[in-house]
Amino acid sequence: MKLRGWLATLIPIALVAAACSSPSTGSGGAATKLTIAAVQGVEDAGLKALAPMYKQQKGVDIQIVEAPYDDLYSKLVNAFKANDATYDLIMMDDPWMPKFGTDGSLSDLGPLGLTQDPDVAQVVWDVGTWPPPRGPVPPSEKSKPKQLLGVTIVGNVEMFMYRNDLSATAPASYDDVLTNAKAQNKPGTVAGYIIRGKATNPVVADFLPILWSQGGDVFDENWNVVLDNDASKAAISFLVNDLKGVAQTDPGSTDASDRDKIMANGQGYQSSVWPGEINTAVLDPAVTKVAGKVTFIPIPKGKSGKGVGMMGNWLLGVPKASKNQQAAADFIKWMLQKDTQMTYAQNKGIPSRTSVLKDASLTAANPYFPVLADALQAPPNWRPRTDQWNAVETIIGTHLNKALTGGETADQAATGAAGEIRTLMKGAGYPTQ
Amino acid sequence: MTHRSRRLTRIATYALLAVIAFIFAFPLFYLIATSLKTKADLFAPVPSLFPPAPTIEPYISVLFTRGFDGLLVNSIIAGLSATVLAICIAFAICYPITRLPAPPRLRAFVLNWALSLRFLPPVAVVIPYFAIVRTIGLYNQLPALILVYTIFNLPLAIWMLRGFLDEIPIEIEEAALVDGASRWYAFRAILLPLSRTGILAVVIIVFAFDWAEFLFAFILTATPQAMTFPVGVQGLVTQFEIIWNDMAAGGVIAILIPLSLMILARRHVMTGLTFGVIREK
Amino acid sequence: MPGSRVSAVPAQRFAIGARIRSAWMARSRQERLVYQLLLPVFGSVFVVATIPFVLAVIQAVTSDSRGFVGFDNFARALGNPLLYESIKQTAIYAAIALPTEILGGLGIALLVHRTVRSSAIRAAIYIAAMIPIVIPQIAVGVIFRLVYAPDYGILNVLLGQTGPNQPLWLSSPPLAMIATASVDIWQWTPFVYLIMFAGFQTVPSESVEAAQVDGANAWTQFRHIELPYLRPLLLLVLFFRIADVIRVFDHVYVLTGGGPGTTTQFLSLYIYRIGFKFSDLGQASALAVVVMVAMTVFYTIVSRFLPADRG
Repeated sequence: MKLRGWLATLIPIALVAAACSSPSTGSGGAATKLTIAAVQGVEDAGLKALAPMYKQQKGVDIQIVEAPYDDLYSKLVNAFKANDATYDLIMMDDPWMPKFGTDGSLSDLGPLGLTQDPDVAQVVWDVGTWPPPRGPVPPSEKSKPKQLLGVTIVGNVEMFMYRNDLSATAPASYDDVLTNAKAQNKPGTVAGYIIRGKATNPVVADFLPILWSQGGDVFDENWNVVLDNDASKAAISFLVNDLKGVAQTDPGSTDASDRDKIMANGQGYQSSVWPGEINTAVLDPAVTKVAGKVTFIPIPKGKSGKGVGMMGNWLLGVPKASKNQQAAADFIKWMLQKDTQMTYAQNKGIPSRTSVLKDASLTAANPYFPVLADALQAPPNWRPRTDQWNAVETIIGTHLNKALTGGETADQAATGAAGEIRTLMKGAGYPTQ
Repeated sequence: MTHRSRRLTRIATYALLAVIAFIFAFPLFYLIATSLKTKADLFAPVPSLFPPAPTIEPYISVLFTRGFDGLLVNSIIAGLSATVLAICIAFAICYPITRLPAPPRLRAFVLNWALSLRFLPPVAVVIPYFAIVRTIGLYNQLPALILVYTIFNLPLAIWMLRGFLDEIPIEIEEAALVDGASRWYAFRAILLPLSRTGILAVVIIVFAFDWAEFLFAFILTATPQAMTFPVGVQGLVTQFEIIWNDMAAGGVIAILIPLSLMILARRHVMTGLTFGVIREK
Repeated sequence: MPGSRVSAVPAQRFAIGARIRSAWMARSRQERLVYQLLLPVFGSVFVVATIPFVLAVIQAVTSDSRGFVGFDNFARALGNPLLYESIKQTAIYAAIALPTEILGGLGIALLVHRTVRSSAIRAAIYIAAMIPIVIPQIAVGVIFRLVYAPDYGILNVLLGQTGPNQPLWLSSPPLAMIATASVDIWQWTPFVYLIMFAGFQTVPSESVEAAQVDGANAWTQFRHIELPYLRPLLLLVLFFRIADVIRVFDHVYVLTGGGPGTTTQFLSLYIYRIGFKFSDLGQASALAVVVMVAMTVFYTIVSRFLPADRG
């Protein structure tokens, strides 16, 4: 007992001492290793495929540290707050960039050698610039010079999909969408429209294109909240009343993976979709029952007369605290090169170069690429560029989910959300009315 | 109670226990079933109770393809070390307050402080811990986790150990002391064996909590060098992908390791559970 | 400090003084041991554990942009109506989960202790009870999601309830509450069992036998012999479960994300939302401090009437 007692104490201590060995990071000079904080999932698949290539070509080790969406955000917030130097590059969803830009956590990529290549759609450069070159600018940022803080490596734009075997013509407008949905809806067999309605981020991602196409918006040019004006209210009602009437059984708990499953099983007629969902789920040869039966189009028009797609680019940025600034920027430049982008696209990446997206050799495997290229040129809308976006999205998402699950009416959702957003923005120093 | 009604009660009790066992076992069963399914099975419109074509592909994917075996090792090291540390410190604190004439207010203070630690929502201390760990240079190192786990499980360890130690009459040790034994001897040869049950319960529960802990492992580590298994498994649930089978395999593996440790130590478990305290009336 | 008083006792009180002094010295040696053992260990743990709490308090009274703001964050935290909704929902959750877990765990422990004789089986059950605690939370959340989800969830399939009118376990407010509480019960009843069953083992067998010889039936035996021994552990379980329910986060987040609407947005999710989604760490820290203080006060009051110490 005595000997075992001592062993029981000493062994863990020895293990701890062994675990304490920390590999020293490369000091000074040229970087031999770059650490990237990436989002786990389809979005970083291409990145992971390219990392060994970079090592071969340039001799720099790329270590990719992954985390799922929400966790990555928390982790980045923590890292920036503590000025942590662990990450040399970070992947960020474009709505996160305003916060990181406002907080001054990212380095300007221009001086590090990145120039705006015209082969990449202008909106890509715009979305990576802070303060934003168009649309309302947060008051605290108005005086700052424009800097390029992030470059897109996942050229996501939300699109629309429908079953071409069930109806030959594409819906031209959301009115068509609703009519077709009613015609195709067979409760229990085929859902006329699949609503992605899980609380906060999912339902808002689904809803914003509808909102914009119907002529509504969250903010106007001066940061006033317009979520409760007539057009916006009509859009909300369209989602929670009209579309819900022809939707799947439980839109309130449906997330993207659920939606993909329904579509892949042939149980849904149409829905919005992100490019990342297409090859992993909807058209995954291993599981899909609708191969060749799905057509992808840009977001249909609404009462505003336009169909407004929503972009959800994943940007690569360099934290100011990183000790390998130039090496990190060089990696981004390498990722943008045309030959790299071709390989990237062949390895499940979603490129941002127009010439690559329109390349005929890639279209067979990725039928939505040309549509994506057009959508990027349109240009698509982006989510409001404010450091408060996460909070705004949470507010809107909670109310929409409540309305979808019968907890409140569309009107109440609109007024409730608008009111909370006003309080939030005013508290954050915006001139919101 | 007649013999027959005793038997009937026994059978009824066994039946009740069986039902309860079934209810608790069902999610476990479904976890295992899911871990043996293929992606196509996961997509099936009507889910099946049993995997139609069982495959161990998810296990291979989790352990080797994704390289989680290193994470498992980290979890084991962190869990065992923190458990040993926790019980040693808990003893160092519980012994004085149960065996020695400590002022009752000190005793109450220690216990109240320990419990109040548990009342604190971790969300508020996540950033302070992050900042502290970085400042002392332990970021992304296992010792940081070991330290944090020890602190977080101390309240429970202290309370549990105190509860069990209180049951053991002090007279036995005092008799030994009067007979000339040293305090350390009284502790080692008399108190420790008598408190086996308490130690067992504390060790199992503290290790279990350390093993499954996610939040601080996630916040305080950045690379697979120090990440633990739950952090790895968490990453298998992404926005768009449906890899529930891999994640379920991760869950099953996460169960098997502590389970194996327990089975290896089953003799101690049995001794701890059936050793009653002899008391004088 | 006891033991350091070396007083020169006046000669005429020598006899009494000597007796007092020797009694004092003898007692204080033991008491000195208390402090010698306790203070270093407890002291260092106390310091190490309290530093983050102090930092959290500092976070609660400062703001990123404006430095020290006093009770500003607290006012904002307590003025938000969503907080009280969250507290209400957490209370409902606790009211469903806690009694079930504690009484269930205790009851099952009693049943096993009384009816299962083989020590191998007792050990096996004990080891099995550890399983729900060691599963990573995300796996728990996803599996239960696969059980409760509409259309493809196994529960509705087994109940034969598919189609448009099936119970929506994750989207209907009362059902969502039950669904999330059921996960808690599944996970924590075994925990209660682990502690209570171990507690049953420490009840001295002669007391039990004596009672049985005296003709006590099963219920009396439990109530008058075993329950008093179990009281400290029972209270431990109660207090710790209450503390844990206030911090419940992981499986709820995966199962419902706080929905439908805010039905399952319990306290910890609410604080997480304020801290990370709204990036308002000051308010989140203020909330955490309020919670901790409130719970400590609650515990102090309750422990007056239900002292965790036995007699």
